[in-house]
Amino acid sequence: MTFYHQQVQYLQQNLYPKDYLLTQIIRSKKFIDNNYANNINLDDIADKAFFSKFHFIRLFKRYYGVTPHQYLIRVRVAGAKKLLQSGMSISDVCYEIGFESVPSFTKLFKTITGTTPLACQLKSAIKSNFE
Amino acid sequence: MKIKLTSVMVNDQEKALKFYTEILGFVKKTEIPMGEHKWLTVVSKEEQDGVELVLEPLGFAPAKIYQRELFNAGIPATAFNVDDINKEYERLTSLGVTFSMKPTQMGPVTLAVFDDTCGNNLQIFQV
Repeated sequence: MTFYHQQVQYLQQNLYPKDYLLTQIIRSKKFIDNNYANNINLDDIADKAFFSKFHFIRLFKRYYGVTPHQYLIRVRVAGAKKLLQSGMSISDVCYEIGFESVPSFTKLFKTITGTTPLACQLKSAIKSNFE
Repeated sequence: MKIKLTSVMVNDQEKALKFYTEILGFVKKTEIPMGEHKWLTVVSKEEQDGVELVLEPLGFAPAKIYQRELFNAGIPATAFNVDDINKEYERLTSLGVTFSMKPTQMGPVTLAVFDDTCGNNLQIFQV
């Protein structure tokens, strides 16, 4: 076994000793991945994972480095980016992906990607015209 | 300032190009002859406008020692994200790729490490 493999095993045993907690948190993340466009309620996810809301948020952040809400926003923005690049209008993308208003969608999109939805869409359109 | 490139040092650029394209499935993006070596980059097939990976010639002797020691310790030179690590492990194994670490869970990620045949370990990971 290599040094690296030993280190991976050491971290697994020492940082993630409780398999059932890890399984529940991974399941929660997958739930967000599969349902991000719907009206997801984090309380519901915490309930399904048998955690209190605060325990759930704390564990999720420990395992993934972001809170479930921050993760949900990231996944939604990634989904929005794909739809924008496919040519869908900004307002259609906004509601399709589960955001409540175009201004809040635009603001979050810019915060996470560094560019506006319009700029993203224009860049994609220009690129496809040259291909 | 934008991150457009990352690199791995390879001991044979031709061999590396073959491995990174034919085995891993990347696509050659740029190839510019530069004397003994070349400027050689590949990109992911799914993100061809994404970050380019430079297959950089290893011509600096001390770097060879560094690379060899990392390799012997099983430490990956870089890592690539995959959707299904077990499927990718099976695919690469069937193509003759040698793994020093089979898919192994570490918290919320699963990791595997293999030999790129050009002096490096590479890691694939699924989150």
